[in-house]
Amino acid sequence: MSDVAPFTPAVRLSHLGDDVKTRIFEAALRVLADVGASVQHDEAVRLLQKAGCSLDSDGLVRVPRPAVERALSSAPNAFTLYDRDGAAAMELGGHNVYFGTGSDLMWQYDPHTGEHRPSRLDDIARVARVCEALPNMDFVMSGAYPTELDPRGVYAVTFLTMMRNCTKPLVIVAESEIDLGVIIDVAADVRGGRDQLRERPYFLAYVEPVSPLSHPAESVAKLLLCADAGVPVAYVPAPLLGATSPVSSAGHVVQGMAECLLGLVLHQHRAPGAPFMFGVNQGTLDMVSGQPSYAAVEGFMNYLTVVEMAKWLGLPNWGISGCTDSQAIDAQLGLEVGELTLLSMLLGSNLNHDVGFMGFGLTGALEEIVITDEFVSMNKKLLSGIPVQDEDLAVNVIAEVGPKGHYLRHPHTRRYLRKGPGQWRPRLLNRDNRDRWVECGGLDLREKARRKVQAILESEGPPTLDPVLLALAEERVAALKASPKVGSPS
Amino acid sequence: MSTTRHAIIEEIIEAVVEGEPEPVIAGVRRALEAGVDPETVLNDGLTAAMTSVGDMLDRGEVFIPDVLWSAEAMQEGLALLLPHLSEGASRSAGTVVLGTVQGDVHDIGKNFVGLMLSGAGFEVVDLGHDVTAEAFVEAVAEHGAGLLGMSAMLTTTMPVMSRTLQLLEARSLRSGVRVLVGGAPVTQSYADKIGADGWAIDATKAVAVAKELV
Ligand code: B12
Repeated sequence: MSDVAPFTPAVRLSHLGDDVKTRIFEAALRVLADVGASVQHDEAVRLLQKAGCSLDSDGLVRVPRPAVERALSSAPNAFTLYDRDGAAAMELGGHNVYFGTGSDLMWQYDPHTGEHRPSRLDDIARVARVCEALPNMDFVMSGAYPTELDPRGVYAVTFLTMMRNCTKPLVIVAESEIDLGVIIDVAADVRGGRDQLRERPYFLAYVEPVSPLSHPAESVAKLLLCADAGVPVAYVPAPLLGATSPVSSAGHVVQGMAECLLGLVLHQHRAPGAPFMFGVNQGTLDMVSGQPSYAAVEGFMNYLTVVEMAKWLGLPNWGISGCTDSQAIDAQLGLEVGELTLLSMLLGSNLNHDVGFMGFGLTGALEEIVITDEFVSMNKKLLSGIPVQDEDLAVNVIAEVGPKGHYLRHPHTRRYLRKGPGQWRPRLLNRDNRDRWVECGGLDLREKARRKVQAILESEGPPTLDPVLLALAEERVAALKASPKVGSPS
Repeated sequence: MSTTRHAIIEEIIEAVVEGEPEPVIAGVRRALEAGVDPETVLNDGLTAAMTSVGDMLDRGEVFIPDVLWSAEAMQEGLALLLPHLSEGASRSAGTVVLGTVQGDVHDIGKNFVGLMLSGAGFEVVDLGHDVTAEAFVEAVAEHGAGLLGMSAMLTTTMPVMSRTLQLLEARSLRSGVRVLVGGAPVTQSYADKIGADGWAIDATKAVAVAKELV
């Protein structure tokens, strides 16, 4: 059980009938069995063969239906992520909805100067600090790529920075199985051992195959390492509509599912029952600007379908929220963040990353994280549904007040607000009249969000990490950086 | 130009814009039969059509795949026209060796740049992705390429570009080839820093820069 009650929407969105879902699934099975895929990892190919797949003379692996069915039946339909201290924090599965940031943004709107500048390591620390303080951010991804650092071992450094600056569970990116191995070692130290880490996973690894239908050695090696270590993994392709997938929504989902499910077959054959997260990223190539849109309506259509398919297959899903194509912290940002985030909540999408993304996955802004947090808070209320007990139906209260009366002084009103469901209070959105708003500085949402970010950054950070653990972790990362096996190909 | 000749040119333009190779070929053939100067067919027909397709893309009136189809249709027409053009005009824009650097699988942008360059008349030798500095340098030597285009989409893989430049230098090939770099993390200042000859933010600009460099 989680220490914090998970949010599960009472108001839900679902639009696909069983017949449609069956058609989509069957089409994905046909792609797996007839088209096949390129798997660039010998051991993985052998494992897949043992799982019933064939390696054919064209070099492609073909996956038959029973292999997929077996993997689906052994994969858990839920798993839990634990925080730095080992407390249960996210129960991923069912319609539970969680939010967090994305990774690797190359640019940031500086929270102090507003300048658009290359990302640095201290941005990762700030992202973690901000998420730690926000009640509706459940996990942390780096949010930034430290462009000032030597790329060798950079993802291990990133991991360490996140770990030091927040206690919430992490979602991580690694370059290969070598740095991933070090990250697992550090997490195991934090837990007090490999078995303890397996029992109480501290992070989920985000691994991507390459659309169309290609599974590079590094991706597969990371997937297998996660299976072995019992570390939860999301094996999620990012086909771009019309560029690396068919342009049709259904075709995009079918291909993406085939890519993800091949990963599932491999992963479950290696470690039946190990935690696996299903997903297909919803990218759309804008066919005029050439930009990979994170907020195109076609992408949203695919997303609705993918999340419904995940529920239908009984797998926890990888989702997306809180991002925009806008280059500014403006009304477009608000609108796109709102739409995608609301969709995730209505769908009961489990792990929703990329909060704080703008400008096609290249720029980050802490203000956007704060704005998304507010939006999630508001909609948790909306989607909890209306209670309809006698107290809520309030017939006797209506009778007591009668025609031409008012409710302001009625005890029911006060009780309801103070002890009952209350009224959702904005922390950023304006509810002041014009005069008061002007008196308070006439601040718009962007400025209020900026000030909130400042306040969080000025407040005390999370409890520091045990210095012995920290020293050990730093040693491990230093060894990785010095290893001839890692880092930039240069 | 007479009205019929003018009409033929218009037809060629329309066919290129529509991305239909057969009518382009038919149009070029008719133009040649009607005695239209081949240079005029090229400049006022095929090239003008591509310019207008580019403008249409800028205005959002066509999609990227439309441009690719137009470029291919244009190339079909050009193939027919080539033997009739003078030396100078018929020369291909040059050979470009292109690839995504080692350690990097991102190839959508690189593919797009390749399609646009071949649409603009370059011979494109596409080495795919995960290309080592050695492989770039060997391909430049083997194809006698005047241009090398490298794409990197990860901060971690950008150093391969500078390594390739060093290797070109070491093999005494640097002076014979113009080096163009691009990809989301790559900036003009990075290009300057590593000593590349050009950088472009997108595929359309890449064509313009490539043309300037050769
Ligand atoms: C699609 C995508 C993927 C796909 C790639 C599929 C493929 N076949 O290419 C997949 C899912 C496989 C992928 C994997 C990863 N990705 Co990725 N990916 C993207 C994404 C969303 C879009 C890239 C794209 O296709 N854009 C569309 C094309 C048309 O545009 P473009 O590539 O920018 O190219 C244009 C220009 O740059 C220019 N150009 C490009 N090349 C050249 C070359 C020359 C010579 C010239 C002149 C111009 C030029 O012209 C092009 C056309 O206009 C970007 C975000 C982004 N906005 O860039 C992240 C992004 C690049 N990925 C990122 C990351 C971190 C990864 C992974 C490490 C993630 C992981 N968990 O494993 C892996 C890395 C795998 C590897 N070793 O390479 C980060 C990089 C961060 C950084 N600082 O390095 C980004 C920025 C997203 C993010 N914020 O996390 N990714």
